Amino acid sequence: MKKLERKDFLKIGGGAIAGGLSGYVFSGAPFQSLQWLVELTQDQYAPPGGKEVYLSAVYPGTRSECNLSVRMIGDRAVKIDTANSGGPFIQNALQLLYHPERIDAPLKRISGKGTVKHSAFEKVGWDAALNDIASRMNGLVSGGKGSLVAGISKEPGISAALLDRLIRSAGSRNGYYEPTLHTLSSAALGGYIDYDFMNSDFILSFGARLLEGWGDPCYMNNAFVEWKKRGGRLVHADAVRTRTGSMADQWLSIKPGTELFLALGIANYLYRAKGKTTGSADWAAVVNEYPADKVAQITGLTVKKIEDTAEAFSRARNPIAVPGRGGMEVSSSSAEIMAVHTLNTMVGTRVAGLRGIRGLGEPVLSAEVRGSLIKAKKFTGLDDFIKNGNFEMLFVNEADPVYRSAYGDALAGKMEKSFVVAIMPLLNDTALYADYIFPSIIFFEKDIGTVKAPFHPYMKSRNSADMIIELARRVEVIKGNFPWSGYRELAGGTGGAAAGAGYLNYNAKILKDEIASITKRLKPSEEFPLSFVPVELTFVGDGEGMAYPYVLKTIDDKTFSRGKLWVRINRDTARRYGVSEGERIDIESPRGKLGSVRALLTDTVPPDTIAIPMGFGHKAYTKYAKNKGVNPKGIMANDIDPLTGTANWWLTRVKIS
Amino acid sequence: MEMKRKWGMVIDLDKCTGCGACALACAQENNMPIFEDDSDFPKRVVFLDLMKVTNDRDAKYPDVDVCYIPKMCQQCEGNDPKNPRPPCVSVCPVVATDVGDDGVVSQVWSRCIGCRYCQASCPYDARTFNWWKPRYESSFKNSLNPDVSVASRGTVVKCQFCTHIWKRERDKAVARGELDINAVTYTPACVAACPTSAMLFGDLNDPKSELNQMLKREKGRKFRLVHTIDQKSEKRQEELKRIKNYPNPKVYYLSSKAWIKEMMKFK
Amino acid sequence: MGTFIDKIKEEFNGYSKSVKIALYIMFFLTAGFIVFGIQILFWGLGYTDMSNNYPFGQWIIGDLGLVALGGGAFSFGFILYIFRNDKLAPIINSTVLLGFLCYLFTFVYLVFDIGQPLRAWFGYTYPNWGPHLMPASMLTEVVWCLTLYFMILCVELIPVVLKHKVLDAIPALRYIGHYLHRIMWIFAAAGTFLSIFHQGSLGGGMWGVMYAKPEWFRPDFFYLAIVAAIAGGTSFMALCAYMAGKVMKREIVPAGTFYTIAKISGIMMLAYLVFRIYDLIVRAMVYIPAFDRKFINLLSPYYGWLYFLELILAVIAIVMLLVKRYREQERFFLTGVASGTLAITVSKLSVVLNGSAVTNFPWKQFYAYNPTIQEWFIMLGGLSIMVLIYMWCAKYLPLFPHAAKHQAAEADTPASH
Repeated sequence: MKKLERKDFLKIGGGAIAGGLSGYVFSGAPFQSLQWLVELTQDQYAPPGGKEVYLSAVYPGTRSECNLSVRMIGDRAVKIDTANSGGPFIQNALQLLYHPERIDAPLKRISGKGTVKHSAFEKVGWDAALNDIASRMNGLVSGGKGSLVAGISKEPGISAALLDRLIRSAGSRNGYYEPTLHTLSSAALGGYIDYDFMNSDFILSFGARLLEGWGDPCYMNNAFVEWKKRGGRLVHADAVRTRTGSMADQWLSIKPGTELFLALGIANYLYRAKGKTTGSADWAAVVNEYPADKVAQITGLTVKKIEDTAEAFSRARNPIAVPGRGGMEVSSSSAEIMAVHTLNTMVGTRVAGLRGIRGLGEPVLSAEVRGSLIKAKKFTGLDDFIKNGNFEMLFVNEADPVYRSAYGDALAGKMEKSFVVAIMPLLNDTALYADYIFPSIIFFEKDIGTVKAPFHPYMKSRNSADMIIELARRVEVIKGNFPWSGYRELAGGTGGAAAGAGYLNYNAKILKDEIASITKRLKPSEEFPLSFVPVELTFVGDGEGMAYPYVLKTIDDKTFSRGKLWVRINRDTARRYGVSEGERIDIESPRGKLGSVRALLTDTVPPDTIAIPMGFGHKAYTKYAKNKGVNPKGIMANDIDPLTGTANWWLTRVKIS
Repeated sequence: MEMKRKWGMVIDLDKCTGCGACALACAQENNMPIFEDDSDFPKRVVFLDLMKVTNDRDAKYPDVDVCYIPKMCQQCEGNDPKNPRPPCVSVCPVVATDVGDDGVVSQVWSRCIGCRYCQASCPYDARTFNWWKPRYESSFKNSLNPDVSVASRGTVVKCQFCTHIWKRERDKAVARGELDINAVTYTPACVAACPTSAMLFGDLNDPKSELNQMLKREKGRKFRLVHTIDQKSEKRQEELKRIKNYPNPKVYYLSSKAWIKEMMKFK
Repeated sequence: MGTFIDKIKEEFNGYSKSVKIALYIMFFLTAGFIVFGIQILFWGLGYTDMSNNYPFGQWIIGDLGLVALGGGAFSFGFILYIFRNDKLAPIINSTVLLGFLCYLFTFVYLVFDIGQPLRAWFGYTYPNWGPHLMPASMLTEVVWCLTLYFMILCVELIPVVLKHKVLDAIPALRYIGHYLHRIMWIFAAAGTFLSIFHQGSLGGGMWGVMYAKPEWFRPDFFYLAIVAAIAGGTSFMALCAYMAGKVMKREIVPAGTFYTIAKISGIMMLAYLVFRIYDLIVRAMVYIPAFDRKFINLLSPYYGWLYFLELILAVIAIVMLLVKRYREQERFFLTGVASGTLAITVSKLSVVLNGSAVTNFPWKQFYAYNPTIQEWFIMLGGLSIMVLIYMWCAKYLPLFPHAAKHQAAEADTPASH
């Protein structure tokens, strides 16, 4: 073998290195390393795989149940399949199920009220918590102060009925509900109306935004599909042209807040031209005072439109007149509900029947408790109670009255000074003033009907009905009235007994008072020349949707953008006030001033009117909802309705600056 | 085996209530990133944008109407169906986006270098860019769909008509023994979620498909977004197509309201 | 180390007050460039005002401007080495250096501008070439062409760098430098060939092919951009040399060179103006109506006026540069070349700013763009670094052979300037 010289060595070495390098480069290795570097630096999360399974679930609506299936990957739920029967809130279910801010154990407040910071609470066990509350309740009842116990539920249902029973068993009349069409109608008419929208051929809506989250959206969407198929007609009376007004076969562009007068005008026509009778003589007398020309003046419609609408309503086979202004959240006076429902009774429609809310029956009370009950003052509704009532112990059952009530601030003030137990899955504005917060389960974690819950309760959360039963069993005086072991025993529900027509009691005095009150509010004053009305985004609803990041993604940039809420103002009105598109304005009512908002100039809003999207301005309710925009309830009108005991906040007089 | 299907969509604006279920379902299905404040609209990452449209430009109260238009990638085709040329595909420097045989414009975010040229060339604002790093706060990660890869910051993402659901259905069909690629049908998340059945998805190549039947029936109501060439005469369309390529999207909208069609025109 | 710092301090103090202030500002901008550059690279483009409405912003404007103005390099190269117009010899070194810096910083801005800089190499390994000879994507063309041209610029720059005192002393390197200079014409020709393509594609082609965007689409934009590059690039190179002369306080380029450049630039600017007017007319009459839109409606209130500004600047440049009486007066010459540079810069501004301001849907209003502090610092910092490097090179490399000759001549004859 030839001796290896340095030159050769260098040549061979150099060649080896050159060859190695080019091999490395051309093999793609450096590119692959760069690719690896890309992936490393981006460190994107890869969701784990697993076996794919579909579970059934039920979303309990107020009118119907929505069947859905949940796609599972392993033990993770990744998608809701609704097969065209759902609505936006069902699509949010997984964000609720897996929300990082879900309360996982009973919380006891250890710091001052007004905050829901992590450090404000300590986690406690169910037993300890329930015992504490039970002993306080025992104390109140045995001390004769049972009437100072109060409860607020979101809507009628099993747990609400149990809470009512608990309150009553303690000797208090203070079981209240947040206003829903159910509760408002029940107060006004003695029962709620069961509308058979599916079979109606003519729907006359008085501000009820039927297609935007009103009532039971599952049912309403299906009903809408039916109307379209059968040629049903929707006539929608509303000041603002929301989507319902656009989709309606006819939109009656009434002046804000004049729904009651339109109803009277139509009733007047039905009576005069069609010989339909209504209510008592007193009631008829009031109706007589509102012929079409007067109503035309008040509402801004033409006489022909009013009369044509009334004529069409009377000729329809299955007409429905619907009160309940709003979308997910409604605000109608009792007079208005009565006035609108008289239209149904006048034409004798078969598709709007009165139903009672069946309770759990009267609890057995001790003499002492009954005495306390007799002495207890009865308030007509939630806002009446907040304004005029007192409590030392308050239960809030899956509700958020501090946010949703027009008396939210007053309630907060009273809650600060009393003992409050709140039940909810996510900390909301009411939790800011609660002493105990109990985590409740969501619909996915409940057995509904024959469908078993697809998911286990999250951590230590429980069904609110179960909590109430367990609490009741620890209170000496009350436990006898709670023989059930859990919510499944009460699965029969509490709704739906038909109430006879004789139940209806059209109170002319209420009507006259309300007319006087509204007439005053309809008049623009020097100081407050503009009307202020609410609108809703269907997927935000009354604010419930704001906790979900995907809802935030769906809000358009002329409703909420870069941290500022936009209110809608008529273009001519804006010009008159020198307001340009996007300009920051302040809104003030006799009750106070609203934080800054931006102006969107649009003629979907009538002149001299401002429409504000609801659901914004939470002070708590997860980081996603917190401090986004403003909540107008604080400045909205708060006259309390004599029958429903709720503030009628639909129309407020305001000024802008 | 040749792919014979061409996926298209029809959205009936007379039935759309603007409820947002489609947008929410899309976000859930496609792992949209979660931000505490998603109100910076120009940087928002969504595949389906629920556009709110009024005719404030053309009318005054009380003639101003409102409607919601769900807008996702319109899966453009270009003038020649045999040689599809969507505006965004030819401009990508790294072939991160391409037209499939089924007409769906794909976007591979692991190939994307984030130059945003495709975003600039899209006439429908359908493409969005991950300006920030996509994040999912703690337990929200539990509902992430493993069929859709999570994108990195700095890449363009967009609707792909839920092609991954097609793949899922294809795999199921094959597992059943059905090997014909054309036997696979599927429904994208948005269409499945619509509570009023305003959205319909199907095969534009199949004359008997429900989609095509509807398009034939609804000649008066149908239009495409801002695609005013559709309203011109055949002759004029030919002339214009010689001047330039037109998007020719596969998403059709139906509306009986004249004002909506007027708002598709620039004034 | 200590002596090095002292040396720098001494040099710094040697400058006049206004230059010192300028240097302070540039150092500040450079520091910002580094800080915000790191932020953008590590934390993303969310910190800019670019958005889904405005996918291209300040850095793309910077790229367009730099590439167009850097086009002076190929123009001068072509005229000097192919047309053999020796009047341009004194300025060619500066031009090549400027061209090199412009293209270098184009790449720097691009690294910041794309969302995934670590994937930038995909342009080379996964190019969108399509079935034909020309690539399907204009950006593929740009990436390849810019890369190849940049390599040519590096080669063109080598002789300049090799003229540094230290390197010039090494005989082998001096030989290489001299030999390269002799075959420079090959590079100039290749450079021109490549430049035609990437000036066209980056400056106009990539915008003109977007057939769905009324503000951008027209087939002639490719060619317009080439003319723009020659017109603006020549002005820009002259402007820089002139400014350098002012700062260095001597005649670094003979007046004759400037007049020649003025004539070339003026003629090209006239050609540009004519072509540009044609472009506007054909857009207004043929292409924009094909979108069912009107030219006047595409002028956004924020940026529409840039069109007019551009035409006015072009006219000023033409008058100042082509009229002998003007171009031979220093201040009018300066006005002319500055206007020429600005005219092309404004045209790039209008392409990007007005282009993205136009909305795709009739119910949306024009968009506006307000660059954030990150964008400003990176843009201005990049420009500052360019200026600093140029200044350093002007001091230590014989960028201006005429200056050395002139100085030597001055030493022999009584000073007359």
